[in-house]
Amino acid sequence: MTGAILQSQLSSPSQNGKPLLEVHNLKMYFPIVKGLFGKISGYVKAADEVSFFIQPGETLGLVGESGCGKTTVGRCLVRAYKPTDGSIIYQLADGTNVDLAKVDGKELQTYRKDIRMIFQDPYSSLNPRMNVFEIISEVLRVNNLYSPKDMEYQVADIMKQCGLRPEYMRRYPHAFSGGERQRIGIARALVTSPRLVVCDEAVSGLDVSVRAQILNLMEDLRRDMDLTYLFISHDLSVIRHICDRVAVMYVGKLVELADANTLYTNPLHPYTESLMSAVPIPNPNLRQRQNRIRLEGEVADPSNPPSGCYFHPRCRYAQEQCRLETPELRDMGNNHTVACHFAEELELIGVRMA
Amino acid sequence: MADNNNILVQVQDLKIHFFTNEGTVQAVDGVTFDIHSGKTLCMVGESGCGKSVTARALLQIVHRPGKIVAGDIILHRQTSHNQTEEINISKLEPKGRVIRSIRGKEISMIFQEPMTSLSPMYTVGNQITETIMLHTRVDKNQARERTLEMLEFVGIPRPDRIIDEYPFRLSGGMRQRAMIAMALSCNPSLLIADEPTTALDVTTQAQIIDLMQGLQKDYDMGILFITHDLGVVAEIADNVAVMYLGNVVEYSDVYTIFNDPQHPYTQALLRSIPKVTATREKLEVIRGMVPSPFRRPSGCPFHPRCTKAMPICSQVEPKTINLNENHQVHCLLFDDSIKNPVREMAS
Repeated sequence: MTGAILQSQLSSPSQNGKPLLEVHNLKMYFPIVKGLFGKISGYVKAADEVSFFIQPGETLGLVGESGCGKTTVGRCLVRAYKPTDGSIIYQLADGTNVDLAKVDGKELQTYRKDIRMIFQDPYSSLNPRMNVFEIISEVLRVNNLYSPKDMEYQVADIMKQCGLRPEYMRRYPHAFSGGERQRIGIARALVTSPRLVVCDEAVSGLDVSVRAQILNLMEDLRRDMDLTYLFISHDLSVIRHICDRVAVMYVGKLVELADANTLYTNPLHPYTESLMSAVPIPNPNLRQRQNRIRLEGEVADPSNPPSGCYFHPRCRYAQEQCRLETPELRDMGNNHTVACHFAEELELIGVRMA
Repeated sequence: MADNNNILVQVQDLKIHFFTNEGTVQAVDGVTFDIHSGKTLCMVGESGCGKSVTARALLQIVHRPGKIVAGDIILHRQTSHNQTEEINISKLEPKGRVIRSIRGKEISMIFQEPMTSLSPMYTVGNQITETIMLHTRVDKNQARERTLEMLEFVGIPRPDRIIDEYPFRLSGGMRQRAMIAMALSCNPSLLIADEPTTALDVTTQAQIIDLMQGLQKDYDMGILFITHDLGVVAEIADNVAVMYLGNVVEYSDVYTIFNDPQHPYTQALLRSIPKVTATREKLEVIRGMVPSPFRRPSGCPFHPRCTKAMPICSQVEPKTINLNENHQVHCLLFDDSIKNPVREMAS
């Protein structure tokens, strides 16, 4: 064991009110390489000083426009990327802590079965040359978790729980529809009985009726298997539906974090307000509303972000201070944190109620 | 229907079949609807319901092995002497001169993924000027003028620079704007938009929708908007056609569809969307899944998933029932000639 493992003061396992995962100042910079000799000419700051925590059993949503770094954060948590800096403190079942950002190799492998990932595209995330049993059991084989006989039982069990018929275990992915493939992806993530599941746009590619089925399934599984979700999506209605707390990201930085209800009805960051305003509401009677906020321009370039508050060129409340000073994430009470200089003064409108 | 003067396109009993080795797929199976100028018709439905194929048929670009096997697509085209002539697009040769003069001129189309529909080999300006020079009698410089105008018009910043950029240099929203500029460069009377905002962020989506609505007002264009996002439908549609397995199961104005839907599929679809205004509760789902196109259920194709299915639904194909002038539904529940025998059977 390395020094990365810190002995927790509290001895009672898991139920000690401590978060399952604590992320501190997570940074993920990708170098921009130029020229023949690989000179590094700059960095894309895909995630920059991101901090949040996830309590056991809750669902944390991560929203933002494409390119805001939400997927990067998710991939850092499953350690598909090694973060440039920062820490990811994961609390093990026995109450001890480990910093996932620091561990590597063999040691890291022991945590891989605890933190799993569900991907967006049910077509490209399943190997067409492996049958369903091979796909789901691969992680069990790699980690030597079960004997071959138990493995088959285990796979059948998780398939049943995910609404798939175990008889179809020897079929290949092409024989399944989009919704069923997503169920296979979910079964693959859950077969190791993980504690945290990172769902990266897990329902974005699905049709309306299938999406409802998968969302219900994920909610049932969360209850039955004691799961904790980090749910990454750009779809604000899906996030509202499934999440307890929601974090909003803009150009690699966290700009607001609050429980879902507060964030939707009483946002404190102008970016959150404009996101809420842009969501189309499936009710034509609300169509002739006034004062919809339209964001001008495009998401800033993360390799060359604007000065001060990254959002200021698009913000309709921006003032001189926003151009000069970078706002810090501040706690506004009730676990509502926001990175805006004028959070106290602005009166922002939340989602338009029916 | 309501306003016969403004009819732009009439689609009548359109059938498109795909002849594959495994059998014939009835992708579109008798679809009837009208598109009016200045109005937006939204087509909604899950993947595989035939909405994109219907749209492609309007331009005669259904790809093989698909074929229009029956039905009419009547385009009411303005001629130079302020008169209208009627052209039946479904009878035109896909590679013929007439349809080629319509594509991009009277009817133009924007697609879901702007990266795959713009050529990576030519600059944005090149691709737009090509369309203009094909359909109008202008020289290169005038076409370039017009392109610049269009790019500025759709809200592209610094059009004089963007015009000489290759598509990969533009962001998703900008590419979609360039696509729209290209589609509108010859003042089409009908714009077909096949999921134009699905790949975009909510904020960009809102910008593009605003843009399209503004342009529609300016040009009095008819829009056929294909989407599976019911929020977008509520935002922009005048009329809505709900499709399921190659049939329009319900057609009405947008308020009726959302406030008083009649077809069980429309009702189920509306119940199964998560809403930003609602809190966490279990979503109602439509049981089962869209059947394989090769194993189309008998009778009403929706009956295996329908909560209100009657025994007769698996035997008889429903006809289109006029509930009122502007509300059609494709369901046996509303067929008076069927209702009575069923009640007798049940009792």
